[in-house]
Amino acid sequence: MGKILMKGNEAIGEAGIRAGCLNYFAYPITPQSEVAEYLSHRMPEVGGVFLQGESEVAVGYMIFGAAACGARVFTTSSSPGVSLMCEAISYIAGAQCPAVFVNIMRGGPGLGGILPSQADYFQATKGGGHGDYRMLVMAPASVQEAVEMVMTAFPLAEKYRNPVMILGDGLIGQMMEPVEFPEHLKSEPSNKDEWATNGMETRKSKKRNLVKSLFLDPVKLNENNLILKEKYERMKREEVRYEPYNTDSDYRILIVSYGTMSRVCKTAIDNLKAEGIDVGMIRPQTLFPFPEDAVFQAASKKSCRMALSIEMSMGQMVEDVERCVHGRCPVKWYGKCGGEVPTPEEIMDVVKSCLS
Amino acid sequence: MDILLEGIIIIVGNYGSGKTEISINLAANRKLAGIDVSVADLDLVNPYFRTREARKQLSELGIGVILPPDKYLQADLPILTPAVAGLIRKPSMLTILDVGGDKVGATVLAALADALDGKTYRMLQVINPFRPFTDTLKGCMKMKGEIEKASKMPISGIIGNANLIDETTADLIYEGYDFVLTVSLESGLPLEFITVPSRLSDEIDMKRFSCPVLKLHRQLVPPWEKAASL
Repeated sequence: MGKILMKGNEAIGEAGIRAGCLNYFAYPITPQSEVAEYLSHRMPEVGGVFLQGESEVAVGYMIFGAAACGARVFTTSSSPGVSLMCEAISYIAGAQCPAVFVNIMRGGPGLGGILPSQADYFQATKGGGHGDYRMLVMAPASVQEAVEMVMTAFPLAEKYRNPVMILGDGLIGQMMEPVEFPEHLKSEPSNKDEWATNGMETRKSKKRNLVKSLFLDPVKLNENNLILKEKYERMKREEVRYEPYNTDSDYRILIVSYGTMSRVCKTAIDNLKAEGIDVGMIRPQTLFPFPEDAVFQAASKKSCRMALSIEMSMGQMVEDVERCVHGRCPVKWYGKCGGEVPTPEEIMDVVKSCLS
Repeated sequence: MDILLEGIIIIVGNYGSGKTEISINLAANRKLAGIDVSVADLDLVNPYFRTREARKQLSELGIGVILPPDKYLQADLPILTPAVAGLIRKPSMLTILDVGGDKVGATVLAALADALDGKTYRMLQVINPFRPFTDTLKGCMKMKGEIEKASKMPISGIIGNANLIDETTADLIYEGYDFVLTVSLESGLPLEFITVPSRLSDEIDMKRFSCPVLKLHRQLVPPWEKAASL
């Protein structure tokens, strides 16, 4: 099959199907609603299920229920909706179930606005829900990358028995780009027989599987948290992804930026290069685990004088950048949050002001 | 072959078929040909990438642009300004109504039934065969039926808009033209015009087409790209 032109939200829906996920529960919210609309057409065509929950709280627990039964399942929402799902995400992580959550971010806090934002960085990477849990968080910068990340998210969720989040800003959901669905990213059946409540008869086993996040015995609860911690440490070792850009040059400024913001930065970097100014960039593709070593190495380059975290939030990722740079160079933040996406010209001005 | 459309032209089609890009470019094309043109943004369902994004460029060309009031421009609300009905009652030589996608987007037209009553108009369906749901003749006809049912108005022509945005090639334009020609023949609806990205217009053999061609100067671009001049 050749390329077709798709809106990010449609492509995310189709990617779920292509990854073999036939269970989708959601509640509409701008700028993500087209996923639900697309799958309301497509799921019946492929024998799948789309159920609209009565709220995002309900959807979160529908996801938990399906995941506990070993069904491959996902949902999509936008910032305020994801806030409502965070309780269920914590339960799913505590009970070690695989599920995929997509957040097409809009401006906050509160109802905020409907335009693009990256202000849910903390919510996605540092918690959101309660307890010692983490999610593997991937941040696409194009519609094609969103497809690939969604298709990759399901086997990763199953590998770690943990929620995986795709964190895209509103533009990822709303813009149109040509895409194709790679055959090689189709996932294998999961290892659910080992842990899911999918019926002893179904799996021809005499062993009962119990899915729960309640551990009243403090020793057992500590043990569960140690199991989770080991998984998150393993993610840090095995799942870090990032894209370096112009890092072979003798750049004096290093940009760290992700999602569509990084595409604005790329245009700025190309324009600056034409003016004789080299700027390097590390684009985290996973926000948890964060590309700690890549940022440290890039900031440690002899020519590098400053690291700039550029984000559509009021300085959330900059905390991770500061942590990873380890004082090798000063770290500054630049960003906007409210729906206005900084232009390449603005980024060029910021870089020049850092050099002067 | 020039595009000679006049009167009230209603642009419909599925989500992302290219209605807004076409409305903006058609308005500029006809204005530059000396016709008095107005455009109304009737997209009540799409949150981003709407005609309002090009309001400055259109106004500079002297094209009338009807939009919701400024303070509601970014609202997630289906606001239909009364100025649209006013425009239909006193239309320009060419009045373009840029409608939202699918049957959901076309529903707004039913609210304009009174204003349109007794007026001559043409409703044109934009088709990009490289979009989901309109990649087959059956899909295009299903979309046509749904839009006609929601708007309670008949579609009277087709606009071919085959593209993969930046990855559009000459071969893809030819393939898309053949597809919409088939849709035109099978449905009996005239093919009003097709579009070609302006960057490809030199390498494309225009003699291959039996309908007019609208050169598209892309306006709805992401923040890291620049809109072309109209």
